[in-house]
Amino acid sequence: MLQALEGLSTQCVAKQDKGKTGHAWSVFLAPGQIVTAAQKLYESEYSLEDVLALDFEEGFLVIYHFNRWNIDERVTLRVLVSKDKPTVPSIASIFDGAEWHERETRDFHGVNFEGNPNLVPILMAAEDVDFHPLIKTAKVRKSIKDLLNRGEVISCNKEIEELFAEAEAEEASDA
Amino acid sequence: MSAYQNLEQMKGDFYTQKFEAGKQDGTLIINMGPQHPSTHGVLRIVIEVDGEYIVRAEPVLGYLHRMHEKMGESQTWGGFIPNMGRVDYGHPMAWNWSYVGAVEKLMGIEVPERAEYLRVIMTEFNRLTSHLLWWGAYILDLGAFTPIMYAFDDREMILDILQRPSASRLTYSNFRVGGVQMDFDDKCIELMKAFIPHFRERLPMYHDLVTENLILRRRIEGVGIIDADMCRRYGCTGPVLRGAGVAYDVRKDEPYSIYDRFDFDIPTQTSACSAGRYHVRVAEMEQSLRIIEQALEQLDGAEGKHIVDKAPKPSMKPPAGETYFNTEGGRGKVGVYAVSDGTKVPYRVKLRAPGFSNMNAFAECSTGMILADAVAVLGSLDLIIPELDR
Repeated sequence: MLQALEGLSTQCVAKQDKGKTGHAWSVFLAPGQIVTAAQKLYESEYSLEDVLALDFEEGFLVIYHFNRWNIDERVTLRVLVSKDKPTVPSIASIFDGAEWHERETRDFHGVNFEGNPNLVPILMAAEDVDFHPLIKTAKVRKSIKDLLNRGEVISCNKEIEELFAEAEAEEASDA
Repeated sequence: MSAYQNLEQMKGDFYTQKFEAGKQDGTLIINMGPQHPSTHGVLRIVIEVDGEYIVRAEPVLGYLHRMHEKMGESQTWGGFIPNMGRVDYGHPMAWNWSYVGAVEKLMGIEVPERAEYLRVIMTEFNRLTSHLLWWGAYILDLGAFTPIMYAFDDREMILDILQRPSASRLTYSNFRVGGVQMDFDDKCIELMKAFIPHFRERLPMYHDLVTENLILRRRIEGVGIIDADMCRRYGCTGPVLRGAGVAYDVRKDEPYSIYDRFDFDIPTQTSACSAGRYHVRVAEMEQSLRIIEQALEQLDGAEGKHIVDKAPKPSMKPPAGETYFNTEGGRGKVGVYAVSDGTKVPYRVKLRAPGFSNMNAFAECSTGMILADAVAVLGSLDLIIPELDR
């Protein structure tokens, strides 16, 4: 089990094959838990690598990559938000570097980070505040279960279970 | 009516107006850049100064934004490789490597031993050109013109070497999924072997000329403290982090390729100031030489070709999945997060630029210092603006 996030209520914790995905842990969280998770990771000497979003049929999957300097153990936090109201609390009060990464994510996907001290366009022009270039068209947009692999699941709630349900049933029938 | 009488224009653009809202009494707001020579391209920093002291600073990015990540989602996996040479003109090989490394990880391709050596040698030479460019330009920022001439003299020799296997001199994009585009020829290896003793002779001269110079030391020592905790909060990596006393280098701490076969040190400094970052980079040049020297010795015994047999075509289709791969670039951790949906076009390519995080620390670090010191700090961060803006 991931020591650093002990005691946090997660949606899904899974161990991943580092050689294949580059991540050691993949953790799904409810938007409300992300600040606590960031605080716990900060206390366990993790540093923030980047924040990004992925456009899926189910919504925007906001991804945070954390790593430690002394031990190579990349932790990926994932927060799934709906397209109607894509809002995630900002972690810029804990990791100051998140401010720019969150602004970039807002530029590209339109995810709103509540509590970010300066949520204005960073890379896009100030006039293009409502234009988000990385939002996909319905034609090429995919579902989470087709692209991501949960890995070796340690605990998982129903919500995330359902997200991946179909894909794993298919895999089982293939075998 | 002249342009200056137009009050609308005098108010400044969106970022100036927003910044001005928090202005104190008796201070002045100035725009440093986007055409300021010490910002190496088009970085703009809005600064509030009280006399000569910086009260607040806010970098404004995006002047060189080209949306590489969107380009990644609009062309084939192989077709995106040339973009990597254009993200960071200082150390493009590291970007090449991060990207093809991620694709290889997705596809499960094993790179031949010889190709790994070729990659290491070229990337380390490229690190030398990156550091030499920084060294010359940094001293130039601080007012000394001569050193950049010496730096470019040596850099030119490396460019002549690297153009033989890569066919370009600045925006290298010669890495391929499964190896590299071309093997070294005999002349190339000969030039490389001759360069190492030549550069070893030159390095002490660099130190005599610049490092021990009293004017330089007064300008940079103790200026612009970015300590380890600040690095962690902002995600700074590379020489900025090593200058703060943390011996973190992706080549050692998250070993990739064959870096575990070489004997080299990770230079660190504990001062966390501009001088610390300066000394780290200069010491890294010597370490790169050591790696190149060992790699050239072992190259003859390496098995395989410069690229894997039946290397994937540009329209390859990696299986659906996600992966993260990072390498150590001249400025820090260069990361690529790639997601494939099993088609020949990437679903998402996220580029993690080290300069973006390093620059982020500038606002906090520059508060309270004098304006002239801000130039010394900017240069010590080794900024490549196209990399920040992507």
